[in-house]
Formats: sequence, structure tokens, C-alpha cells
Amino acid sequence: MADSIEEVKKAKKLYMFIGLLLFFFTVITVMVASVEWLDFGGHGFDGVDATIGLIIAAFKASLVMFIFMHLNHERPLIYFLYGLGLVMAFFCIWLIGWSKSDPIQYGNSNRADGFYNPDKPATNVHGHD
Amino acid sequence: MEIPFVVNARKDTGLFNSKVGIWLFLASEVTLFGGLFSGYLFLRLYADYPWPERALPVLPGLINTFVLIGSSVTVVFAWAALKMREWRKFQIYMGITLACAAIFMVLKGIEYNAKFHHQAVQIEGPGPVQGKGILEGHVHYAEIVDGKLTEVKDKDRYHDEGVFPANRILIKASELTFVLKRPAHEAYVREILKQAGDDHEITLVEDYRVPNEDELHAGGKNRTQLLESEKALVAKSGSELSIDVLEDMEDAFLDARAHDKDIRTDFLAASWDWIRDEKGDDDLATYVVEKDIWKERRKEDAEKFGPLMLSAPGEVTFKVDPPLILVMKPGDIPKSSKEQIKLRDDTVVKGEVLPSPMIMGVDAIDFRHTAMRAEAEGIDPSKAIEQSWILTHTDSHGGNDLKKAWDCHMAWLRFQTERLEKKGRVPTDNDKYRVNWDEMIAYQKLDFIPDDVYKAASEDTLYHAGLFELKGFAGANHKEFDFPHVEIPRKNVGFESTFTPKWNTYYAIYFTITGLHGLHVIGGALVLGYYLFFGRKMYDSNPEWLANRVEIGGLFWHFVDLVWIFLFPILYLM
Repeated sequence: MADSIEEVKKAKKLYMFIGLLLFFFTVITVMVASVEWLDFGGHGFDGVDATIGLIIAAFKASLVMFIFMHLNHERPLIYFLYGLGLVMAFFCIWLIGWSKSDPIQYGNSNRADGFYNPDKPATNVHGHD
Repeated sequence: MEIPFVVNARKDTGLFNSKVGIWLFLASEVTLFGGLFSGYLFLRLYADYPWPERALPVLPGLINTFVLIGSSVTVVFAWAALKMREWRKFQIYMGITLACAAIFMVLKGIEYNAKFHHQAVQIEGPGPVQGKGILEGHVHYAEIVDGKLTEVKDKDRYHDEGVFPANRILIKASELTFVLKRPAHEAYVREILKQAGDDHEITLVEDYRVPNEDELHAGGKNRTQLLESEKALVAKSGSELSIDVLEDMEDAFLDARAHDKDIRTDFLAASWDWIRDEKGDDDLATYVVEKDIWKERRKEDAEKFGPLMLSAPGEVTFKVDPPLILVMKPGDIPKSSKEQIKLRDDTVVKGEVLPSPMIMGVDAIDFRHTAMRAEAEGIDPSKAIEQSWILTHTDSHGGNDLKKAWDCHMAWLRFQTERLEKKGRVPTDNDKYRVNWDEMIAYQKLDFIPDDVYKAASEDTLYHAGLFELKGFAGANHKEFDFPHVEIPRKNVGFESTFTPKWNTYYAIYFTITGLHGLHVIGGALVLGYYLFFGRKMYDSNPEWLANRVEIGGLFWHFVDLVWIFLFPILYLM
């Protein structure tokens, strides 16, 4: 971390540059979503756009974390604490996977479309009781 | 007492204590928002309706992104100013940070406000699939003229007395029956009395009488005599409806019910003791359920405790003279027929349910759900859409502006399909099955003539509100534009709501995450504001201490920014 006055002065320029970089990538994200020649994948929103949007967001977030929050040169304890939070967050997202393993699905579809049709019998898609 | 390690680092951790504290807190925050993002993902992947892609106005979200990024820079500059012992600069940078927080919250307020006033309604009616289309727009206002619901055209009169949003149900009430076992009538009674004013009398039809407990147990009087006693009178017939009168009757009913319950319980307990003595504990349940001996005993019990019951009437009826046209919110009415409605507290309003169409200016037509259902059922979506009330009804002027708008949309879609085909692409479901508010204006500007729409689209002269259209900053602007007007008969009004968590899971998670994020912005601004306005003393005593504190507050502020960096694309652009 910048502790001496000289280092702090130098860091200010970096902060300004990072700020501009964040502005720039925000504009890029919006353009990917709205300008046709930057609309990758199929026409309109699709998985490709989502991937690009999230990659840019992750890059922007890492700039904030590493530069503004000084994670580029922190003590090991901080990495441990923050890493713990991230692991827990990913665990929460991983939990969604369990919903796929529900042995009983309704309707005639194996798609995760959530349609519930009480007129159709429950299908045991996993083949066990 | 001096707090240790707030300026200098501890030897074991290499950090001052507050920094360890804030990172512990931030780790828990990461988990919290991780859980919410997980919730978002789950709701989106498993939604049983077309997820509202790019449904939010981008401009307020974009400005807020710039504002938060800018404030992240200024907060770190404020910290740097303290490190360099420049108090004045610290004040300026921190002041800008707080201004950014205020701008963020104001924009969020504008965005929320637009959602709270934007109406959506699922249409009911004929059609081969469950979804019959959705209309979005603003509810107009109405009043009662000559006993009929009449639209108020003059927007300046919207807040006049007697003017109400035109999504209410009207009933010409001649009788009200309150259920005393659910004593939760206060809000409705107040509303009914307010609407009745001084022109209508609402009076109790019959005396409300409950036998006096002491007189009952003293014996010597039959039920008729008990009821005729002066002590039995709770409310006299002709009493005017008021919360007090209703509460007196509710109290008497609840006391009587408690009394009756105690007697029934005593008899039941005595019967249990009796059957235990007679048959022993073995196989007792079989006896109670199956054997006639138990049924006979309970029958005898009923004959014995019947006369000991107070048996207070559970309902009271008031007549309304002259009949009053009550204006009620649809959400307050779970059940209705032609002759009566039932309010949420089980109060039955008898009379005549009047035609209560929902009147609104429509800024969007959405058939994506219809198409989704049709495809799932193996039906051609266009066939299902054509049968919707939206496209088949005739309005009071003998036309159907929504059908005209849809025909224009089809003309535009024809152009869009041809254009995209040349690029090897296909239109999205949004293109195919949804008319947005900006398209609605574009079609209106061409008098809803499909050929003109196709021509304008081909020549690239079709009006397009665009991303930075300020007239629709936070959604369709009904002040600037007149959108197609529709009167939806009540039978065709299905589920309806403003764009709040009630409408769908998208808005539920949108308000949950952005609301929680907004609270973080307020919390962070309060802490940073404290340093700005009350930090001078600390700065004078030990500037490094304040610098450390601002660094801690700044770390939280950056985290708030970091969350928004993900929220913006996920909620506004995807």
C-alpha cells in the first residue's frame, strides 16, 4: 500500500487511470448490449452477450478490488478472509446444481422450464424408486 | 481507555485492527450478495415465464454506474488527501463522494417510482393456451357519474375528491354482513364509512343479543327468556355502523365462544375419563373412532351441554339506506358474483356488482408468454395470439387500437426478419411477440398504418426513442405521449399488478438486491459523512487515525461499487 507521500501522489494517477478504465468498460458493456455491430452471437441477447458482459464485469470488479481496495499488495490474512467470502459465495451458486438432481419432474419435459402440469403423471427421470 | 492498534499495525497480523474487522465484515457481505446472486440465477434458470430481458431503463442504471465509479475514485482521493495532510482537499473529495451517493439514491428513487406507477395486467378470455397476453401501461382515473363508472379525461382532476384509479370494483351495496369470528374489520369499516359519508345510513338490522352467563347458570329461564333479558342486549337494531359497535359485538361473541368451548372441553374430558374407566387404555383409539358406544356417549353429551351454551350469533347484518356505490380495490375482493362481493375479512357486501372495467393507456403488448405456452403445447403461437381478447375485442368507438398496433408490429417484424435474414440472423422472441412503448409511439406517429410502418422501417425513418430518450428516462412517459386507450371488462382482467415484487420473480429479486444495495449506499454515506462533518477533531489529534478510518469506510464504499458493477449488466442489460 502507498504509505509515503511520494507513493500516495503516484498512486493518485493510477486511481484516476483506473477510474477512466472503468468508465470505458462500462460504455463497452452497454454498447455490446445495444449496438448491432457489437452484438456478438445471435441477434439480441444470448449466452454470448451474457458471457462477454460478465467477463467485462469481472474485469472491472478485479480492477476495483486490486487497485482501489489495495488487494494487489495486502497481508495474507486479508486474502484469507476475502477468499473465505468468495468460497462461500460460490458455494451458494453451486447449490443451484442440487435443484437439477430432483428425481421427480413433472410434465413431459426434461427441460428446466419449470412447467408444472398436474394432469400429467410425475416422471421418474432417474430410473430409481 | 485507549483503543489499541487503531493507528499502528499489530505485530502478528501486520494490520491495524479496524482493517481486520472491515475485511471480516466484507467477507460476510460477499457471502450475502453471493446468496442473492445465486437466488437470481436460480429464479432465472427455472422461470416458468419469459424472463424480462433488458426490461429496465438503461439510462438511469448507466448514470448510476458512472456515479458510483466516480465516487470510488473520489473516496480514494479523499483518503490520499488525508495521507498528505490536506484537510481542505479531503473535504472536497469526500463532499463529492457524498453528492454521488445522493445522486445515486435520487435516480434509484425515480426508477422505483416509475415501477410503482406502471401497471401490468394478464388478460383472461378465449384462447387455446393459458397465457392470453399481457398489457402494460398506466391506469387512468375515473369517477362515478349517474351511478356509472366514468373516465376522468382531465389530468388536472386526477387528485380531486371522488376520483379514483380506474382499476376498482364497484358494487351498489344494500347490505353488509360482518363475520364476528374474524375481528379484523377496522380498515374496511373505516373505508366504508368514509365512502358512505352523511348521505347513507348503515344500521344494524336486528338486535344483537347474547344470553347472560350468570343468568344462564342460575337456571330457571328458557333460551327465549334469556335472550329477551335486558342483560342479553349487546347492540340494538338500528344502531349505526361504527368500529365501537362492531367491537362490542365481536367481544361478546368471542367471550361467548370461549365460554362454550370450555364447556365442550369439560364434557369431552369427562367422556374420555368415562371410556377409560369402562374399557381401559388398550385399543382406546379404536373405540373412539369405530364403536357406537362412544358415539352414543357424545350424542348424550351434546344434549346435555346444548342448553349450557351461550351460542352467540357469528354474523351481523347492516342495511345500507339508500344503497351506496362502494369503490373497492380488486386486491380486497377474493370472491365476487353478480349480486355480492366478499372482502378479505369475509365481510359480505350484497347488492349489485356494477360494470367495473379497467381503463388504461397501453404502452406495451406482450405475447411472449402466450407464445411460450403455445410452443410447449405444440400449437402455432400466431394462432393462439390471434384469438386473444387483446386482438379480438371492439372498443366503445367500434375499433381496436391494440389490433392496429399489433398489425403495425407485424409489418415491422416482416422488415426486421428480412433484414436479419441477410445477415444470417433471426429475430428474438422480444422482436416477435412484444410491442415496446417506443414502438407504440412510432406506430402512433404513422397513424397505425402497417404499410407506412414497413416503408419507414425500410427507409430507416421509423421513430426510435433510443437509449438516451429523455422523454422516457425511467420508462414509458405518459405525460408526453398519449398511448392507445383500452377499457378491459372485469371478466377479462386476470392477474394485475404494478411492477413490484407481486408481478413476478424478476421484480422480486430486482427489488431485493437493488433495495439491499441501496441501503448499503445509505449506510456507507452515513459513515463517510460522519468523517467529513465530525472528523476534524480526530484529524487534529492524530491525522493518521482518521486516514485509517477513511480507508476502512472507503473499503466498504468500493465494495458497494463492486456489487453494482455486477448488478448493472445482470439486471439492466441481460
